Amino acid sequence: MSAYLLRRVGQFLVVLVLASIAVWAMVYALPGDAATVLAGPDASGPQIAATRARLGLDKPVVVQYLLWVKGAVTGHLGQSFYSADSVSHTLAERIPATVQLAVLGMLLALLIAIPIGTLIALRPRSLLARLLHGYLTAGLAIPSFWLALLLIITLAVRTHALPATGDYVNFWQHPVAALRWSILPAIAVAVHGSCIIARFLATSLSEVMQRDFIRTVRAKGVRESRVVIRHAMRNAALPTVTVVGIQLGSLLGGTVVIEALFNYPGLGRLLYTSIGQRDYAVVQGGVLFVVVVFLVLNLLVDLLYAYLDPRIRLA
Amino acid sequence: MRAAGSGRLRPATAEPHPVEEHPGEPALRISDLVVEFSTPAGTVRAVDHVTYQVARGETLAVVGETGSGKSVTVLAALGLLSAGNVRRVSGRAEVAGQDLLALPARERRTRLGADVAMIFQDPMSALDPVQRVGDQIAEALRAHDRALTARTARARVLELLTLVGVPQPAIRYDQYPHQFSGGMCQRVVIAMAIANRPKVLIADEPTTALDVSVQAQILELLRLAARETGAATVLITHDLGVVAEMADRAAVMYAGRIVETAPVARIFDRPQHPYTASLLASLPRLDQPQGRLRAIPGQPPDLRERSAGCAFAPRCPIGGDRPECRTERPVLVARDDGAVACHHAGQAVTLLPQPDARPSVAPPARPDDAPAVVEVVGLAKVFPIRRGLLARTVATARAVDGVDLRIGHGSTLGLVGESGCGKSTLARSLLRLLEPTAGSIRIDGADLLRANGRQLRRLRQRVQMVYQDPYSSLNPRLSVGDNAAEPLRLAGVPRTQRRRTVLELFEKVGLRPEHADRLPAEFSGGQRQRVAIARALAPSPAVVIFDEPVSALDVSVQAQVLNLLRDLQDETGVAYLFVSHDLSVVRQMADTVAVMYLGAIVETGAASQLYRRPRHPYTRALLDSIPVPDPSIRRQRVPLTGDPPDPTAATTGCRFRSRCPLGRERAACADRTPELRQVDGRWTACHFAEEVA
Repeated sequence: MSAYLLRRVGQFLVVLVLASIAVWAMVYALPGDAATVLAGPDASGPQIAATRARLGLDKPVVVQYLLWVKGAVTGHLGQSFYSADSVSHTLAERIPATVQLAVLGMLLALLIAIPIGTLIALRPRSLLARLLHGYLTAGLAIPSFWLALLLIITLAVRTHALPATGDYVNFWQHPVAALRWSILPAIAVAVHGSCIIARFLATSLSEVMQRDFIRTVRAKGVRESRVVIRHAMRNAALPTVTVVGIQLGSLLGGTVVIEALFNYPGLGRLLYTSIGQRDYAVVQGGVLFVVVVFLVLNLLVDLLYAYLDPRIRLA
Repeated sequence: MRAAGSGRLRPATAEPHPVEEHPGEPALRISDLVVEFSTPAGTVRAVDHVTYQVARGETLAVVGETGSGKSVTVLAALGLLSAGNVRRVSGRAEVAGQDLLALPARERRTRLGADVAMIFQDPMSALDPVQRVGDQIAEALRAHDRALTARTARARVLELLTLVGVPQPAIRYDQYPHQFSGGMCQRVVIAMAIANRPKVLIADEPTTALDVSVQAQILELLRLAARETGAATVLITHDLGVVAEMADRAAVMYAGRIVETAPVARIFDRPQHPYTASLLASLPRLDQPQGRLRAIPGQPPDLRERSAGCAFAPRCPIGGDRPECRTERPVLVARDDGAVACHHAGQAVTLLPQPDARPSVAPPARPDDAPAVVEVVGLAKVFPIRRGLLARTVATARAVDGVDLRIGHGSTLGLVGESGCGKSTLARSLLRLLEPTAGSIRIDGADLLRANGRQLRRLRQRVQMVYQDPYSSLNPRLSVGDNAAEPLRLAGVPRTQRRRTVLELFEKVGLRPEHADRLPAEFSGGQRQRVAIARALAPSPAVVIFDEPVSALDVSVQAQVLNLLRDLQDETGVAYLFVSHDLSVVRQMADTVAVMYLGAIVETGAASQLYRRPRHPYTRALLDSIPVPDPSIRRQRVPLTGDPPDPTAATTGCRFRSRCPLGRERAACADRTPELRQVDGRWTACHFAEEVA
């Protein structure tokens, strides 16, 4: 176990360093010198000079990278030229909104995907399974912005049941309001994810149900519900966990279109506008955050794998 | 994972229950069972009015080939058929008088694992890989006794593990199946099956996936399990040796029907059905090779094509041409202490080889001094085992550890050993598919290991290989003709000439040349293996390596392929290296035999000598472990204890020491590694070879 864990954490650190180098080098690939790029198109001389000093552009490349890492770790990612806020501050405003939307969307997706995937795997020939197959195909085919528009038109514009725009309200302070303001964007992102997860779950679960050990468990006279939950689900969870991890990663990276449609103050919209405004300091900070989130989720998935599968844990 | 003394069964904590005989009421009675599947080709009747019964304490063997319906019968009876295309299950399956098929699923579940329990074929895949082994056994107890506390269940499981011979049960309880060997997994499955003292035990090919030495242990354990529980046992198998050794009665199935049933001695002595007799006659024997095996012609039946007559008629040496066999399906009628479904039942016994008619001298063994086509000296292959954070080499597995061997022109060397002994690594080294760590290999006198790219390609034309699984060893997207022509194409033979050679080869291996353009999927396992043989012979090799070439085939087809291999050798003078775990098959094929254990050859010599008077305790034990298809010789054997050893374990002295009945406590065996030395006309690596009789 410990060797596996150490190796995975080791790999994580190596990839983290490589990825951070890529993010750091991003601005150097742009035309002009890094200080001008990072300070923004309208930056004044002193602003550029301050950025240059922070980045240590007169120092050797290795030192420049290390300085940047030091800044990133301590939360000094530079200055947004546009909002005149520090990058860290700008990100810190958006990240909770994105996390809340991502977590809510993922919970909804799982809530939809697990029963559908299970039902399709266990009763593949039933009428309900066929109908749900239709849902999965439609859910994957319909672009989420279209679904979002439909949701806005039916639930918000026509019936006024929910607000047409989303907004971030802290769930722990005002749970009802938080749900009310983020449920529509959450549904819009959840449907697509639920279809992917349900498909994976259905495939791996029906494969597991055909395995020999399921017959052994049935031959013991074990209740069918226990056969499915304790034996089949646990084995089928392994490949499913991977997709859930990837899905959650992309939700945490921000869902640009949905956030834009609902005017939701998330990370995706921030990155989108920042790219448009050439606010490279914000872009760099945001991308770094997204990369780290992906890597951490990957690590967690691997650790979850080890927890679920003794063959990995005890290898 | 060595199990000290696990072959010895420890006394049960509970007193064995005396078996009560109830001749009137069988523990299991299956009657008129019909199972049908819907397939794209129409309805397939896999089980066709099957009826059998087993009394308490009795063992019934159900024998049959692939597609005979032997497993489907019991799975359907227990409601465990999970295929989605089951169309019909009808008939009765009574356990202690209660028809399981008439019960609603919920009530049938309460009988499964309590009144009737099952043991499955592949023990490694029969256990849930992510649950603790002990918990899986406890589940069998708790499913039928809700009041059972976790603590009591654990104590009972520890008792059961001890009973089935799993050492250190308290530690093993919390381990997972991948930490168990195949034999140990099967012990766990048996513990699970007997946990609730069932009235009926059904074992579906329980030893097919296991090594011979482990098979002997598991068969012994099955006997104990039946005795302990007093259960009626149904033993489903294709292995007539296992039938002879274990069963009281046997039922032979063919194409979904029982064609013959009788007490075991009667079945082997006076078979009444031509299929039974043909099966018995087609078996290779351990005591001596036969000139030719009496193969059953044709393929196992295709259930999609049902004829009105007897399903065996197309392959039957007696009824083949008779009109009644073609038009009228024979029914099972009582005859000679059993029952048989054949229009000409009396004549089957003539199909058995007569004891005196059997050639007492097998085909002359090829001279040992024939020029060598393969010469191996000091061959070693060491695999590093990497562990830990930096994947450093923490140990080595000496898969092949200093092997010398020689195959003479036109002769056959049989290489036998259990899983993990290194026989496949050795075989693959001869093609340099693996790069050996040390030693030399000469093919036709040329140094294989020093050969450069072009030379190597030329040498590989001289050494060809036929693999175990004919389903995965042919390219499914190439026609069988193109598959067979592949080595010629690589050798740069022009297309028309390739075609001509392949068609000739197809004729030789018993395939119809006009089928050369079909895809492998249209062929049965036996036919595919013929394609693989044609491919191996295409470049006119000096030697062909066969890696378990018949172990994936049905018994009736196995004899056809073995005969073919002999004919081809007589015709072409090609040498064979025949790798197998099946000692009877090797006896039939080999002139000389080499027995491998933990990477080294422990005994080698002429086949006749080695089989008649083994001098190495391991050879002796292997021969003793094989169930012989003759119920009159039920031997009291000394089963080899423990599992086939782990090649990563460092050993000092004799590598067989830990499992040896002779040397376990002797100082010489611990101190010195025995070298191969000449004893009694063969080479044996044992300090005490003279004591083995």
